[in-house]
Amino acid sequence: MIIVKGKITIVFAALATILMLTFALGTKQVQAQEQGQNEQNKRPNFLLIVADDLGYSDLGSYGGEINTPVLDELAMLGMRYTNFSVNATCSVTRSMLLTGTDNHVAGLGNMGELNAPNQYGQPGYEGVLNKRVASVAELLKDNGYHTYMAGKWHLGMKPDEIPHARGFERDFSLLVGGGSHFDNGWNLEWQIPKAPYTEDGKPVEELPSDFYSSKNYTDKTIQFIKEGQGDDKPFFAYLAFTAPHGPLQVPDDWLRTYKNKYDEGWDGIRHKRLARMKELGIVEEGVNDADRLFFLPRSSQLMPAARVMLGRKMEIYASMVEYMDDQIGRVFDYLKEIGEYENTVIIFISDNGAEGNDLRGMVAGQPGTFGFNHAMNNFAENSHNSIGRPGTYVEYGAAWAQVSMTPFRIYKGWLSEGGIRSPLIVSGPGVKDRGGINKEAILNVKDIVPTILDFADIEHPSTFQGREIAPVQGKSWVKMLNNEVRSPRNSDDWLGWELFGNRAIRQGDWKISWLFEPFGIYDWQLFNLTEDPGEQYDLSDKFPQKKEKLVALWDEYAKTNGVILGVRSPFEQASKHLPNSVPEYDAYPTIRGIETIPYEKLLKLMAGEKEEK
Amino acid sequence: MKNNYRFIEIQKLFTTIIIIFLFSCTLFAQDDGARAYWNGRAGTNVISVQYMPAHLGASNSMAFAPGQYIYPNAETDVNIFLATWAHQLIIFNRPSAIAVNLIGGSVGVNVNTENLTPPVPDDPTPSVQFNQASSGFSDPNMQLVVNLIGTPPLRSVVDMLNYEPTFSLDIAGMLAFPIGQYDKDKLVNIGLNRWYGRIALPMKYHFGVFSPGYMSSFELTPAVWLFTENSDFMGHKLENKPLWSVEAHLTHDLAPGIFASIDMLYQTGFESEIDGNEVGEKLEIGQLGLSFNYQITDNVTLRTGYSSNVFGDANLETSAVRLQFVYSWNTSDVNAKKLMGD
Repeated sequence: MIIVKGKITIVFAALATILMLTFALGTKQVQAQEQGQNEQNKRPNFLLIVADDLGYSDLGSYGGEINTPVLDELAMLGMRYTNFSVNATCSVTRSMLLTGTDNHVAGLGNMGELNAPNQYGQPGYEGVLNKRVASVAELLKDNGYHTYMAGKWHLGMKPDEIPHARGFERDFSLLVGGGSHFDNGWNLEWQIPKAPYTEDGKPVEELPSDFYSSKNYTDKTIQFIKEGQGDDKPFFAYLAFTAPHGPLQVPDDWLRTYKNKYDEGWDGIRHKRLARMKELGIVEEGVNDADRLFFLPRSSQLMPAARVMLGRKMEIYASMVEYMDDQIGRVFDYLKEIGEYENTVIIFISDNGAEGNDLRGMVAGQPGTFGFNHAMNNFAENSHNSIGRPGTYVEYGAAWAQVSMTPFRIYKGWLSEGGIRSPLIVSGPGVKDRGGINKEAILNVKDIVPTILDFADIEHPSTFQGREIAPVQGKSWVKMLNNEVRSPRNSDDWLGWELFGNRAIRQGDWKISWLFEPFGIYDWQLFNLTEDPGEQYDLSDKFPQKKEKLVALWDEYAKTNGVILGVRSPFEQASKHLPNSVPEYDAYPTIRGIETIPYEKLLKLMAGEKEEK
Repeated sequence: MKNNYRFIEIQKLFTTIIIIFLFSCTLFAQDDGARAYWNGRAGTNVISVQYMPAHLGASNSMAFAPGQYIYPNAETDVNIFLATWAHQLIIFNRPSAIAVNLIGGSVGVNVNTENLTPPVPDDPTPSVQFNQASSGFSDPNMQLVVNLIGTPPLRSVVDMLNYEPTFSLDIAGMLAFPIGQYDKDKLVNIGLNRWYGRIALPMKYHFGVFSPGYMSSFELTPAVWLFTENSDFMGHKLENKPLWSVEAHLTHDLAPGIFASIDMLYQTGFESEIDGNEVGEKLEIGQLGLSFNYQITDNVTLRTGYSSNVFGDANLETSAVRLQFVYSWNTSDVNAKKLMGD
């Protein structure tokens, strides 16, 4: 019995041991499964980086000669898209970027500073992000995200309009459209003598003495992420650089990074960019760039000294872009340091086309105005060796803007592709086909909010804080990023724009645009963007039905979004403000005695190709 | 004999003064002047006319003359005109400049030591009364300046546009030709009756933005003056040891086209021998001054300066003013203006 008892004891003991082991193993497996599930369920962070007035072809990964290793690496880890459009100016684009809807719905039917008399006070023309929309920050914050912003806001300055009031729990924001990059001593608008900044919703009185926009926005982004660590909440960080928006300014150490790199002039640089874009696969082999705008001379017609002076502006611009790239690298390094880089969806865009307008001249206005007085007191210094430093205000002009927008036509402000095409790089979890280039997808800045919400598994609500809000108009890219589809849009989908009275509709390869003279004809023109991205050939006569169909879509667009065409436009007298046209020749002589060199050959020589003997 | 020797000492005193004044006005702390050695575009011409009135007074504490004799009431008035043509060019692929200086003017000297108290009780120092003046052209000189370090050849507007200097070092050689007014029987002369020259190493350090209205510089020019002998100095042979000098300027743009400069000049050496006999101690003078430069048009600049001695063994009382009119041009700029109808 004892033996039996002993045997029973042993059996029980063995059973108990097996049970315990099974339980222990089971528990561990469950824990592992739960952990895996948690990892899987962990919502991604979002880092939305916006450059200000950056051109389409400026980044190395888009064919530019500017050194942008950080963003180029991001492009290799993620995807580049070549058919991504924004709006033609910054606050207008930002209203779409942060709400996923049309600018006429979100309150930026026109830039607040430039509303026409018949637009003032009308719904959609508040000039600030209105209450008909909820910002992505508001939605993410309500759904358990940390929300941070550093950089340019330009969507309202009243207490209920500033970033802190529109969903950003931490912010360091320039409320207006631009100003000195080195301090808050002045901004573009004379009505507000000092550039207004807020930090966490409170006015910033003093900026650090070593302030430089790109550096300090980066510092704050890193600081906010760092201080938000520890509660397992994911974050949404909006890093809205003011570079390379004018005034072109960069710290002294970077000022001569590109010294003499642009002395050859815009034609040669543009020619080389297009060649690289073809090499990289950003544009198709057979694509030609848009003609040089009628008032811009060939750079080969300019004296070397003139090319040096004009080239220096581009040098500073390029330095600003590289500096910004370097700062973005700091954010990436920090995310890697805290182990969040792989779990962060990173989106990089520009807010509009490169700046080819004389914004400084527009701000300064005429002698006798407050604007002129403002410019006179704050940014009159523009001598050759001064530009790029504090107290100066220089822009690089239409010719370099057109280089930045290779191969497109015109630049910021206009609804040609030169005004609205932007680079787009997306990287992070959920992005497959890394290093690839997608030229098929027709994407728009309105798509970013639905994409972020889709990633975060948040449904866009119909009401927010007790008020009805407009639905998003954009389309999520998640399936596209996951390689399930090539584009979020089908052939029936279309996009619409209206700004300053200029109008455009895009559907598939086709686009109609109505632009003021001299760039337009005060009437609709039809282009095929795949064959003619430079919008050089008006196909209205060849495809009248296509045009008619797209014009009907414009009517629908205007009606749906409440477009009010202004009785006044900053571009209505563009013909008067632009310089005279310059003569064009098939061959340009005098480089070697009386021999004439065909222009195409000259370009090749300027690009460094050796002459055949 | 002793009186004759003392007379020679006095003569040496004044000759020294005259030499100093005529050598680019070295009694002025401005000396060559602030920004005189800034490198310019090849082909640029500069014509400058200077007027430099100065007064020199020896106080009763002055121990200046060889042998430590005191001449308390020595008064010298100098009026000098200096006309310069300078041309920027490239030599051995280095930015360079040649300059020709024509000097003229008048010097008047008045010494009265009648009531002198001898420094040594038993020293039979004689009374001296002396008045003499001289006028005419002095010895013209030529100078060549070649940059050694820090400045690229500035051949064109493009080179100028790309020029943002930091430190640069030049070498400058000047030679004077002894063809100026000299009367072997006069104590006071403007010409020196001997060959002489200067070797200098002008250094510039630019700081701030190299742009009108923002430019600043520190300039230092160590130099040595070398003299051959004057074999007909009142029937005697006059020899001088080298004169060492350091000229310094701290310049700063007050506004586009206007700069101010704090100027300093230190000189030492120049010991004299007459007929092989040492006749005095070395000269040591420190000058401090202030000058202003006003650019009136693209081509025309006006400079003014004032300086006075502030230290040195020779407690010389000097008061010197410089007025300088400068006209500069470059043919290509002139032609461009013609085209633009300016």
